[in-house]
Amino acid sequence: MDNTLQVLLEVTNINKCFGPTVALRDVGIEVRKGEIRGLVGENGSGKSTLASIIAGMQKSDSGEMFFMGKKWEPDSMIGAQIEGISMILQEMNTISGVSVAENLFAGQEKKFSKFGLISKNKMNIAGDNLLKSFGVDHIKASDSIDLYGFEDRKLIEIVRTVTKDTKILVVDETTTALTHSGREFLYKLIEKIANENKAVIFISHDMDEILKVCNVVTVLRDGDIIGNLIKEEMNPKTIRYMMVGREIGDAYYRTDYDTTHDEEIALEFKDAWFSSVSDFNLKLHKGEIIGIGGLSGSGMRDIGRAAFGLTTITSGDIECKGKKIRGCNDAIQRGIAYISKNRDTEALILQGSIADNIALPSIPELTGPALFISPLALRKHAQELTDKFSIKCGNVNQYISTLSGGNKQKVSFAKWIGKGSDIFIMDCPTRGVDIGVKQSMYQLIAQMKKEGKAILMISEELSELIGMCDEIVMIKNDKLSARVKRSKELKEIDLIEYMI
Amino acid sequence: MENKNINININNNINKNISINSIKTITMPLVPYLGLMLVILIFYITTDGKLFSPYNTRIVVQQATALSIICLGAVFVYSLGELDVSIGACVGICTLLEINIINMGYPLIVGFIAALVLALSFGLINGAFSSWLGLPSIITSLFLMFVGGGVQALITLKSNTITTDYDFTLWKETWFQILMLVIVSLIVAYLFNYTRVGKYTKSIGANKVAASQSGVNVFKYRIIAFLIMGFNVALASIFILSRSASSSKATGGGMHMDVMIALIVGGMPLAGGMKSRFTSALLGAFIYVILTNGLTLSGVGITYVPFVKSIIFIVIVIITGRKKGGILPR
Repeated sequence: MDNTLQVLLEVTNINKCFGPTVALRDVGIEVRKGEIRGLVGENGSGKSTLASIIAGMQKSDSGEMFFMGKKWEPDSMIGAQIEGISMILQEMNTISGVSVAENLFAGQEKKFSKFGLISKNKMNIAGDNLLKSFGVDHIKASDSIDLYGFEDRKLIEIVRTVTKDTKILVVDETTTALTHSGREFLYKLIEKIANENKAVIFISHDMDEILKVCNVVTVLRDGDIIGNLIKEEMNPKTIRYMMVGREIGDAYYRTDYDTTHDEEIALEFKDAWFSSVSDFNLKLHKGEIIGIGGLSGSGMRDIGRAAFGLTTITSGDIECKGKKIRGCNDAIQRGIAYISKNRDTEALILQGSIADNIALPSIPELTGPALFISPLALRKHAQELTDKFSIKCGNVNQYISTLSGGNKQKVSFAKWIGKGSDIFIMDCPTRGVDIGVKQSMYQLIAQMKKEGKAILMISEELSELIGMCDEIVMIKNDKLSARVKRSKELKEIDLIEYMI
Repeated sequence: MENKNINININNNINKNISINSIKTITMPLVPYLGLMLVILIFYITTDGKLFSPYNTRIVVQQATALSIICLGAVFVYSLGELDVSIGACVGICTLLEINIINMGYPLIVGFIAALVLALSFGLINGAFSSWLGLPSIITSLFLMFVGGGVQALITLKSNTITTDYDFTLWKETWFQILMLVIVSLIVAYLFNYTRVGKYTKSIGANKVAASQSGVNVFKYRIIAFLIMGFNVALASIFILSRSASSSKATGGGMHMDVMIALIVGGMPLAGGMKSRFTSALLGAFIYVILTNGLTLSGVGITYVPFVKSIIFIVIVIITGRKKGGILPR
């Protein structure tokens, strides 16, 4: 690296813990002028935590940061933005119900006010000028923001976040929600910022993108910095190896392309209307994995909830093995298992032990004569499943709250396998799970398919849907937008157009 | 190599965390036992042993029996994270029903059945109606507390105190009281620890959404919990009636608070959940009764009893470390 380049931001010995989980351990990085620094790592490796500390979203437990030679202690994201470090977030962050201009200048209304009255006209003109300066011509500042789709709103957000004072721009997995043209817009902007002798911190899990955009990469694993790579040293294999700490092998996702399944229908949506989802049709057979993809908020989560009887169906039917599903208890009795995305609030009882949680759905099966539930039988049941899933714990009486995300997820799988369910609805099954556990989850899911279980896999990660499913159903704005069969040629970019 | 070291360090940290947790899990439930021993020891000394004189033992057992039985039923409700403030009113009407039916010449069992029907309907209202109306059970129980108080006042309009000359000798026998307490305790212990009733109520208290998504019928088990408590209230009302063979509009007054205090002192988490134990009922009831009895017996002026009680109460609560969110949701 060229040492004559000036250091813009220096981060030293940052530590951050969330309860028993260590998110960052003695982390230090230097960001120099003109750099586009990629931060890569698995979920939970601490990359987003690091970025959010730099951008003032949260505070570190210990450690110091220096920005342009001065101590950097941002009190909030807005404070940080004024001082010169801005962050674009993963989630949608615009205010609906008001105009584009009001979104662009939220918090800066004083600039346009006279005697306490805000001149909307002035604001709109300034908004249009601002949008034009970024080369965004198709958005009008005076329009209501609700007229624009997800991608345009993201652009508005970017325009709002990047000011002339921005010295460092943090981009946190923003591109997952953008189409090709949106991505190009962002790449150009990033390049421009770097050319102006400023810097960009770029977070993404898309390897191709990292290789294309960044000129230096920092790899994190479990809260530690594993290493820094300059442009010439970057290649997917090295980066992946550094991320995981071992060879992952080829068998990450399902390796077969055999999409055959039983003829028997396990779960069927017949012109079903529920929540905001309209007229949804789907047939899930035994031994089949169907993936449901889309943006969060597209209604795809409601599909899983409806099939488990958690949502009222306003018209049409959802049938399990030929009979209508009446509520969640009925669904469970008929062999449906539901693994919620909100693991800590919906799927598990955190203050309960591993045994309590694994046994809970199986209590009717564990009950003997005179309502008796043998503590020994219960423990044995939990122990068998804990061993089967190799859940890392002292013993089955350990509290769930002390387990890592991956092990918690194993528990929420184990409780349904223990119940003997044969239809699995998984909502983001690998969310917040480290790569090793992820791999074993994928193997488990592939195994479940072989055993003839029907699987509905709802996920925001297109790569895992492509890797695992026999068929992928894309959801856009509460409607089915495409059905795609499993194939070797399928790429993420082929699916993105159906979700935005 | 470096990586290996880091991994070892992490493991050590995790082990430390686990061991601290497990020490806490083992010791925390012991605190109420220590509390009971402490209360006994202190008052044994301050009363020069009068605490265990045959006469006083009878009184302590008599008072603790009724409170314990109600607390044992309330364990199910409290483990849901629910409260019931209509217990006092329910006890009051139960005793009035029983005494009037006995005075009409019917046997006690008829009175008990009437009381049982009443207590169960209180339970049904608190358990089911609150669900249907989408209200927290504390609201319906507040409503019942007012209604019950009114009914008590109505029944006792003519004479302030209704008495009976029915022979309650058996119910006043210490051995019988202990026997009943043991039977109820065993049944509750069985239901709470070894059947789905207790497992489900605890799960609901810990995480209602997760419980219902795991196949627990929240509505049904809420009602069952309140019904079990209703049964215990009806049973306890006979012991309360037998003490003075009379009932007035003040009978049972404040009983719901006694139950709440006893359960808190006995180690029951107010939010319910997996850490609920049925032993809290027994320990708490005895601590509370001995505390009240011991204070008077050691010659603390009647005016100062509430102050001393309040201090002891807060000390016990602080010792048991009852802070919000003992286990962080993470």
